[in-house]
Amino acid sequence: MAKKTMTRKAADNEYLHKDFHGALSNGIEYLDKTYGEEAVREYLRQFANTFYAPLKEDIKKRGLIALKEHIEKTYKIEGGKVDIAFSEDEMTVKVAACPAVSHMRSHGYQVARLFVETTRTVNEAICEGTPFAAELLEYDDQTGRSVQRFIRRVK
Amino acid sequence: MISCTEFIPAYSELFKFLDKKGGKKAVNDFWNYLSDNFLGNLEELVKKHGIMGCWMYWSHTLNEEAADFTMTCDEDAGEFTIDMHYCPSKGRLLNFKHIEPYEDYCGHCQVLYNRVLEPLGFEQIYDTSHVNEARCKLTFKRKANK
Repeated sequence: MAKKTMTRKAADNEYLHKDFHGALSNGIEYLDKTYGEEAVREYLRQFANTFYAPLKEDIKKRGLIALKEHIEKTYKIEGGKVDIAFSEDEMTVKVAACPAVSHMRSHGYQVARLFVETTRTVNEAICEGTPFAAELLEYDDQTGRSVQRFIRRVK
Repeated sequence: MISCTEFIPAYSELFKFLDKKGGKKAVNDFWNYLSDNFLGNLEELVKKHGIMGCWMYWSHTLNEEAADFTMTCDEDAGEFTIDMHYCPSKGRLLNFKHIEPYEDYCGHCQVLYNRVLEPLGFEQIYDTSHVNEARCKLTFKRKANK
């Protein structure tokens, strides 16, 4: 019979545990089933307004470029491909396939009915209180392929 | 998209959201749901490999989470221990200056895994006395009569 020991330092590994997408999806599904659709959006708005507060401030200060950098960094970490058309007043982000959805589909995790809100509601909440508005123009539930637009609000 | 590297604050905020909705019971109900719906791989591994299934499960997760830990598994003794020197999840939450972690954030570990392993004949010993320094010790031990 075996006795095994393993010791690791944080620096030994890259921090990238994609199964967390499955856990988040379970959380979204649970909220939807237990408290209803609006609870999912309410939770995601609360999370985005709290966690992305520094990003929102950065957008107010530097404009859409701050959001562009955030999106590029996010998809780079996750190994996703994005195509971004950028101007100071408008940005369109085309995502070929959402890395979170791809991971869940390939590992047999359930993708929550309202998983789309982790893009739509989160983008909208990030833009709340900034000079910009977010729109989700296209979204494919199977792959997470999407077209996201951020546009300067009309004063 | 919420990156998986941002999941921990999203998780903590979910616990806070549920707590506001229905108190600690609402949070516990979710943890039970998550255990039942998300930890099937841990259950399968332990059913197939006994206590060594814990080793297999956490070898994957703790490395991907870049944890600072020592993990031991003694098949003869039927004992598995994670000595978490620095938890990447709690550590991250403590390091954020602009968010407050859910007060019982670490409670999820206590509920999630025990709910899977207790019915399979293992008892949990969980030292949470240093969770505010992102340290803890989690042991699962085969019950004496099993």
